[in-house]
Amino acid sequence: MSLEIEGLAWGHPQPGGGWRQLFNAFSLHCPSGQFVVLIGSNGSGKSTLLNLIAGSLPATAGSLRLEGRELLRLLAHRRARSIGRVMQNPLDGTAPGLTIAENLRLAECRRRSLLQPRALLGLHPGRGDRRRYAALLEELGLPLADRLETPVGQLSGGQRQTISLVMASLGEPRLLLLDEHTAALDPRAEASVMQLTERLVQRLGSTTLMVTHSLEQALRYGDRLVMLQDGAVIGDWTAEQRQQFTPAALQALYGSATVPLERT
Amino acid sequence: MLSIWIGAVDQGLAYAGLALGVYLTLRVLNFADITVDGSFALGGGSAALLLTQQVTPPLALLAAAALGALAGLVTGLIHTRLGVNDLFAGILTTTGLYSITLRLMGRSNIPLTEVALPLQHWPDLGLGSDGQWLLALALAMGGLIVLLALLLGTDLGLALRAIGNNPVMARANGISTRRGLCLGIAAGNALVALAGALVALYQGFADVTMGIGSLILGLGAVIVGESVLRPRGVSWALLAVVLGSVLFRAMIALALQLGMDPVDLKLATALLLLAALGLGRLRLPGLSAPGGEP
Repeated sequence: MSLEIEGLAWGHPQPGGGWRQLFNAFSLHCPSGQFVVLIGSNGSGKSTLLNLIAGSLPATAGSLRLEGRELLRLLAHRRARSIGRVMQNPLDGTAPGLTIAENLRLAECRRRSLLQPRALLGLHPGRGDRRRYAALLEELGLPLADRLETPVGQLSGGQRQTISLVMASLGEPRLLLLDEHTAALDPRAEASVMQLTERLVQRLGSTTLMVTHSLEQALRYGDRLVMLQDGAVIGDWTAEQRQQFTPAALQALYGSATVPLERT
Repeated sequence: MLSIWIGAVDQGLAYAGLALGVYLTLRVLNFADITVDGSFALGGGSAALLLTQQVTPPLALLAAAALGALAGLVTGLIHTRLGVNDLFAGILTTTGLYSITLRLMGRSNIPLTEVALPLQHWPDLGLGSDGQWLLALALAMGGLIVLLALLLGTDLGLALRAIGNNPVMARANGISTRRGLCLGIAAGNALVALAGALVALYQGFADVTMGIGSLILGLGAVIVGESVLRPRGVSWALLAVVLGSVLFRAMIALALQLGMDPVDLKLATALLLLAALGLGRLRLPGLSAPGGEP
């Protein structure tokens, strides 16, 4: 199994007082290379799950193994060395003041610490790095190869999310976490980012968890569809099984305590 | 008359390390660091003490920079490990540093008039000792600019810039923002302490109060340099900051030349900064008002 989540627990204080235990003994197993789409209503725990996996939120119990390696006790930046992540807000995933090439360089080096003396050797991104990035962007069919020296802050939201996605795919990630990464985009940008997502997931072969509110996306992409409600899996379908749903039928299941067994 | 202006340039160059340190913490790391006031005096005081103990000037400068780095590291650790707000972490360190510097110095003021500097054998450019200082300080600052530009051009420098630009993104790409902040704040304060040592050498004494207001001087140099030169890219920004330090000193010299009462100097400095901020419409990370221009 590539990604094994066992007994994960996390809760948070509620605004009016009291405690909400969102995740309690949560488990999810994803085979290596599987592309899992996570859906569910607001507050069901989709993004929180991704944050718990990435280490942005601290799980209070459980285990999280990626290719057999326990991640739960590692800090977020240490986990990031094997996890590529695209966030919902295009502003979050890139450094706006740095150029496209500089952003790509950072992502490419994700597997090693850049705050060590050996990171002082050589100026980067150099000419060789730029050639490599231009070739990569061209190969992916992205019209940004001649804009490597443009600060990312000058790009549109869609372009920034595209760069974010390319960055997440660099540095040989074992796991891709995509958190509603097309939510802030217009339909055209959404389609192009989803096309790129599919291409990169295929190319990398890494396990992927994608959170989405788009039921069209949920029925179209991925190998497996998982529905969350109140921090628990209430529906789990293979790509073939999900064919039974229309977007409306899928939406009708939102808010259910459990999905009838015969549907799974 | 000319010597006043050469003196202003010399002072600007001596203070340029302070501006580079402020640039590194505020602009690169987006960290408003008040430690600067303490580490500047620490640098001046420790270098003065060592020089009076017959330690050679280069070694005294290096030791001052190392102590400044240590002070910066303390602020970094208070901020990153204890979760104390950046301004408050700096205030805590600076407050403590006052006593430490006074303890180190043993008295509030150390004169350096007896210390022989190797500058006596340098060409004076026809300007006397001011010319010798000009040459030495220009070379030192040129070297610092090149060194910093190279440092910020490496992967390590790129990581520091990413932390200041977007810490969430930096962490998501495997960079420890805690460690990076500590490293960058230490480096910034090493530069500031080095400037403190150079200023002590230049003015011929170190005083335990010499750091008061140094943050605003460094900030002034950064703002003036960026407003006037509007640099694009890190290397040009470093050069602009050093030139900003010189320009800032020249403006103060001009104000004094025009008959301004030295009592009004701090007010004039504040107004000068305000004007530069307004004219440059600069976005100052960590200092701009919420809701301002993005």
